[in-house]
Parts: sequence; structure tokens; C-alpha cells
Amino acid sequence: MELLQQLTFLERGIIAGVIIGFICPLLGAFLLVRRITIISEALSHITLTGIAAGIFLSQSALWLGFINPLYTGLVFSLAGSLLIEKLRQIYKHFQELAIPIILSSGIGLGAILISLSQGSYNEWYNYLFGSIVTVRLGDLGFIFFTGVLALVILIMFYKELLSISFDQEFAKTSGIGVRKINFFFSLLIALVISMSMKVVGILLVGAMVTLPVAASIQLAKSFRQVVIFGILFGELAMIGGIYFSYHLNVATGGMIVVTGVVLLLIAVILKRFRTGLA
Amino acid sequence: MISVFFQYDFLKYALYTGLMVGFLAPFLGVFLVVRRLSLIADALSHITLSGIAFSLLLGRYYGFFAGLNPIYMGAAFSVGGALMIERLRTVYVYYKELAIPIILSAGIGIGVVFISLANGFNNDLFNYLFGSVVAVTKSDFHLIIGITIVVTLLLVLFYKELFFLSFDEDQAVISGIPRRFLHVLFIIMVALVIAASMRVVGILLVSSLMTLPVAAAMRLARGFKQMFVYAVVFGELSVIVGLISAFHLDLAPGGTIVIINVIILLVVVLLTRKRV
Repeated sequence: MELLQQLTFLERGIIAGVIIGFICPLLGAFLLVRRITIISEALSHITLTGIAAGIFLSQSALWLGFINPLYTGLVFSLAGSLLIEKLRQIYKHFQELAIPIILSSGIGLGAILISLSQGSYNEWYNYLFGSIVTVRLGDLGFIFFTGVLALVILIMFYKELLSISFDQEFAKTSGIGVRKINFFFSLLIALVISMSMKVVGILLVGAMVTLPVAASIQLAKSFRQVVIFGILFGELAMIGGIYFSYHLNVATGGMIVVTGVVLLLIAVILKRFRTGLA
Repeated sequence: MISVFFQYDFLKYALYTGLMVGFLAPFLGVFLVVRRLSLIADALSHITLSGIAFSLLLGRYYGFFAGLNPIYMGAAFSVGGALMIERLRTVYVYYKELAIPIILSAGIGIGVVFISLANGFNNDLFNYLFGSVVAVTKSDFHLIIGITIVVTLLLVLFYKELFFLSFDEDQAVISGIPRRFLHVLFIIMVALVIAASMRVVGILLVSSLMTLPVAAAMRLARGFKQMFVYAVVFGELSVIVGLISAFHLDLAPGGTIVIINVIILLVVVLLTRKRV
């Protein structure tokens, strides 16, 4: 514990980044094969509402001051993922409408709560676009525990998740509780988004989930390879992004995403090269 | 309550812009939703942010760009993003839906880098993100009138072709409708409307004006024409009520407009549930 307290703010940020760079692509690989990568965008936007609500509540009443916005963000994001499922049932013929509805109502409500609360705009930019220097020891703890929890869920239900992701019908007939697993999956997404938010920023969490696996699927030959390459690209983007943002004095979240985009471009070009030779 | 909007020039601009946008966005939104492209609006609005940030960054170094309205660069980026999405769909043949999250997140990531290079993390950026009643200038107003006229003309000219394409793409192609040309044209119209709506509604919220009224209209309408009517009525209603309440309560107008849309949607969903 003493060792943890001696960490500098930069070391805390880097440790948080490495954890996030590992978990995000891992989840991304499952989202990719389920064809719902876009869900991470919707849930990250609704996390903004949760954060804004948390900050607003803790400002408006003294006895609510204990509320940590990270936790309200987590609750909102979980509620959002359940709402998306509900909306999919309401719009049976236009299921893809559920995501833009949640995405935009999340950010709309968030905008109102932001203009109601008295925080300075700069504080909000940290939430929106991420900042590595604001990772406190408590945040690092939150990131660590949510990361472990997400990892435990993934390992416990690995086979079930894989089966549902590839063929939901088959999973159902082979006796997997699809509803239960889907709930755990929603919980997993909500956990990963709220843990990544502090470093990468709400608007950029989706990028961390999508870009590394989009790059890895260009090169991988199996699901396992997608996961391994994805984590590799995720960590590279994370560390490269932090390094460049520190030296060029640019917003961390943005630089991480740009590094991810560059890696994606390299992967696409490599693939071209390979198929060109073959 | 509304009279104050006619007393001050900037409020007048905001109101008129809102009315134009409240018409255009849901109208195009109907085509977007029916063609199952509703997410494209989100991707394009996020990439518009990188265009605006790029323009702000250039403005710091070159006088020419400092005088230029950032909306132009935003619209250019958004058209470029639309073409990139088409390109990515051919790269990921088996995972076509990946194109949108890639462009969306890349757009906002690049935007953030440009903004921080331009030292632009200030109140102006907040207005771009969430909209503002006071930010609509005279030059914005003229530009938005121009966009409204062009898009409306194009819609009138190509209504039948777009209609046909939305419902039966194969049949439309066989009857000789130039699918590629129309698709690119349509996407460019969406990009223009996003650029026009941005000032009042904000970049992060433009897409909701395109999808939420349509989602509500869809539950009520009994035909395609009715869907347009309902969508535009909901859109205009949300913009007017949203702008007025945002001004009087000192809130971000984008947020109030979206929340009114969400309320309309909820009411409609509850009403139609009883009917069944």
C-alpha cells in the first residue's frame, strides 16, 4: 500500500492506461463478432449523463456529497444497455434505431445537466476527452477492481460468451441461459466503459474498444489471434499515445486514438501487401 | 415569451436557423432511417468536429483561415468522412458495420488533437459541442439559408428516385436509376445539413434531430408521406420549444431540443402501445 502511495501522477496514469489497453480490446473482440461494436459508443455517451447527474447531485444537496460520479456513470451505462435491449423489442423492424436513440438522448440529457451544474468547463473537458494527470489513487483503485471484475466475468463465461457471439440460436438450443449471459455481457460493457473513461475520455472510449480489433482482424486468422493482436495493438496505442501526448503536450485521449488510427492504417496496408504477394 | 426572440438580432437568427434546421433534419432523417443508415449521421457529425478543429488550428497560423467560417471546413470534412465510410465498407467486406464506429472514433480523436494543438479548450468549443442560442452570426445565417435552398431543391428534384431507392434498391437499379451517384448525392446532403444544424443544436446532438422525430413519426404514420409530416412537425415543435426554454432557463439549446424530442418519443411509444 505504501508503494502505491509513492507513485507519481504519471506512473498512476500509465498503470491505468496499461490495464485499460488490455481489457478494452478483449471486450472489443466479442463485440466485433457479435456485430455490435457501435454499442460501446452509445453506452459511453450515456455514461456522460451518469457522470453529469452524479456531479449535479453531489453539488445540489450536501448529504449527497459522497456520490462519486464514476459510480453514477456505471449505473447509467448499465441502465442504458438494458434500455437498448428493450428498444430493440419496440422497434422490431428497425432494431438499429435503438442505438442512435440511446446515444442522442444520453448526450442530450448530459448537456442539460452540464449546463445546470456549476463546474468549470475545463473539468468537463477532462471527462469528455480524458486526462492522464487527473488519475488519483482512488481512481486507480476503481480501474483496478473493475478491471479484475471484468476479467473474472470474461474467464468464467468465456465459453458461453463465445458460443452466443457466434451463433445465438445454437447457444440457446445447447442449453445456455442466453438471457443471463446477455445480462452479464451488458454488465461487462458497462464496467469496461466506466473504467476507461477517466484516462481516455467519454467520447473516446468507443475508439479504444473498436480500433485495435479492427486492426487485428485484418491480420488474424482465428478468434484467439484477434484477441491477442487486439491486445497488442491496444497496448501499443495506449503507451504510444501517452508518450506522444506527454512530449507534444496534446490531449491524451486524442493522441491515444490517433495512434490507434495509425496502427489501423498500417494493418490495412500490411494486409494489402500480403494479399498482393500471395 | 417568444416576443423576445424578435427584439434581438442574434435571437432572431437563432430562431430562423432553428426553424430551417427543424424542417431539413427530420426530412432527410426519414430517408436515413428507412435506408437503415441512421448511424451515419452520428459518424458524420463527429467528423465535422475534426473539420472545425482543423479550421480553428489553421486560423491561428494563416490569416485567410482566421476569416473563414469554420463551418465550411466542417462540411468539407464531413463529406470526406462520408466517402471514407464507403471506402471502408469495401475493406471490411465481412464486417461492414465496423466502418461507422471507426470513422466516428477517428473523427473525434483527430478533432481532440487539433483542438489541443490550437489551445482551443474554452467556452467556444462547448458551444460547438452542445449548441448555443447566441452563437449564430449573420454569416452563419446566410450560409444556412444557402444550404436550405440547395438541399430543398435537390430533394424536390430527386424525390422520386430517392423514394424508389429507399424501398427497393434492386428494383431501382434495374430500372436504370444511378445508385452510386444518388447515394453520394444523398450523403453530401446529409453532410451539409449537419453543418447547418451544428450552430444551434451542437455537433454531438445533430444526429438526434435526424433520428428521434423520425422514430416517433414511425410509430404513428400510416404511410410514407405521413411519416414526413409527423417527423417535420415533431422536429419543428422540439426546436421551437427547445430554443425558448433554453433561452429562459439558461440551458444548452441542443440539450433541451433533444430532451423534448425524447419526451415526444416516449409519449408516442406509450400511446401506440395502448392502441395495439
